[in-house]
Amino acid sequence: MNETTRLKLLFDAFATFADTLVVGYDILDLLQTLVETCHDLLDVDSAGILLANAADKLEVVASTSEANTLVEVMQIDADAGPCLECFRTRAVVSLPDIDVGSSRWAAFCDTARAQGIHSVYAIPLRLRDTTIGTLNLMRNERGELNQHDIRAAQALADVATIGILQERTIRDASTLRDQLQKALSSRIIIEQAKGVVAETANVSIEAAFDLIRRHARSHQTSLSLVAQRLVTRDLSL
Amino acid sequence: MANDPFLMASDALTDSGARISELARPFLRFLPVSGASISTFGSFLGAETISATDARAGRVDELQFDLGEGPCWDALVNRRPVLEPDLASTSRVSWPAFLEAIREEEIGAIFAFPLLFGPLEIGAVDLYSIAPVSLTPEQQGQALALSAIVSRIILRHAISSTDNLPDETTTFSRRLIHQATGMVLAQLGTTAEDAHLVIQARAFAENRPMREIAQDVIERRIRFAALTEPGPIL
Repeated sequence: MNETTRLKLLFDAFATFADTLVVGYDILDLLQTLVETCHDLLDVDSAGILLANAADKLEVVASTSEANTLVEVMQIDADAGPCLECFRTRAVVSLPDIDVGSSRWAAFCDTARAQGIHSVYAIPLRLRDTTIGTLNLMRNERGELNQHDIRAAQALADVATIGILQERTIRDASTLRDQLQKALSSRIIIEQAKGVVAETANVSIEAAFDLIRRHARSHQTSLSLVAQRLVTRDLSL
Repeated sequence: MANDPFLMASDALTDSGARISELARPFLRFLPVSGASISTFGSFLGAETISATDARAGRVDELQFDLGEGPCWDALVNRRPVLEPDLASTSRVSWPAFLEAIREEEIGAIFAFPLLFGPLEIGAVDLYSIAPVSLTPEQQGQALALSAIVSRIILRHAISSTDNLPDETTTFSRRLIHQATGMVLAQLGTTAEDAHLVIQARAFAENRPMREIAQDVIERRIRFAALTEPGPIL
């Protein structure tokens, strides 16, 4: 992809976010679009978003691959890894070579390495005093993410965060917490729906998510609604 | 419909906060029977009368356990209700010792409904009437429906009262369990809640963590056959 094409795609992505924010959206869909945009436009191999739940523990809410292996890497990261550090310090954490950071976060580095991941870049989803989670970019190459990508990723993360927070500035903090918890809870239905499709369409869990995602997109509806209908067996893919 | 005795009975069960010792009584609300008892036995739970509306209902259960024969055994083994509307004139030869033993009790009719949950055998409901009496097809259907509710309550109770199953505390484990729940609900054509219970019961029966069962389901090493509803009445 040349630079002009990439810039055009990046503008498109921002325009899409702006549209989403204007017409209203489901947080989960917004975050799913965000990780996919990062994956498509930036020099990263996988991306994921973790949100803090009611107990202030980070949970994976969106990722570029729904393969359980990647999700597990990120969930270990949430317990002890760059992503947790990013959330706690509310600052970017870059781990350009997991072999160098491995003594601090041994379990995370071992699992990540086993999946071919060699560098990690974690960005807080933060607006002033409020941090709602982290955006995690993972690369199979070692080394720092390039400056363009860092700026683009930061901007995308900020737009998404502002989008999530702006609607609620006039309401109290518990409402935000409720909304985020709702996004995490709808993950339960989405996981169940992945199982339903994996069984009925006889595909992997990962492929099942792609089918659900595609259906939601082509019918311009939210992932949660599609998942709900799959689980109650009102819809079959 | 608010006064429908069956609905009142099923509401009573759902509302009772699952008091195990009170599970038998709601059957008396809509069936023309004198007493009811509920027992667990079979391959899954230990043999025990868990609820009886009166002493005679308790004895009906006890005799069947002591003798190793009787309607509740047949109901569970064959996965279908056993109906004896008139014991005095029955031509049944299958429970000689039990029939002999209950001759001393004043029992005109006896019925047994299996307690099943999917592939699991939970136990049976025994119902007796002092006078001979028949159950209409509707009453039989309602008794089966109530038995299904009772099965879930007993199963939940059995699972929650064990400390063999640690809570699935990690987010990742729960995620796998949700995925497996989806697969099982599709396999069994049931609700997510029941599918979750099926996985939980399997973990309980095999004394393994739910996460392991979930993993086996996802990797297609375990597959649940469709829930078998109780068969036709003999």
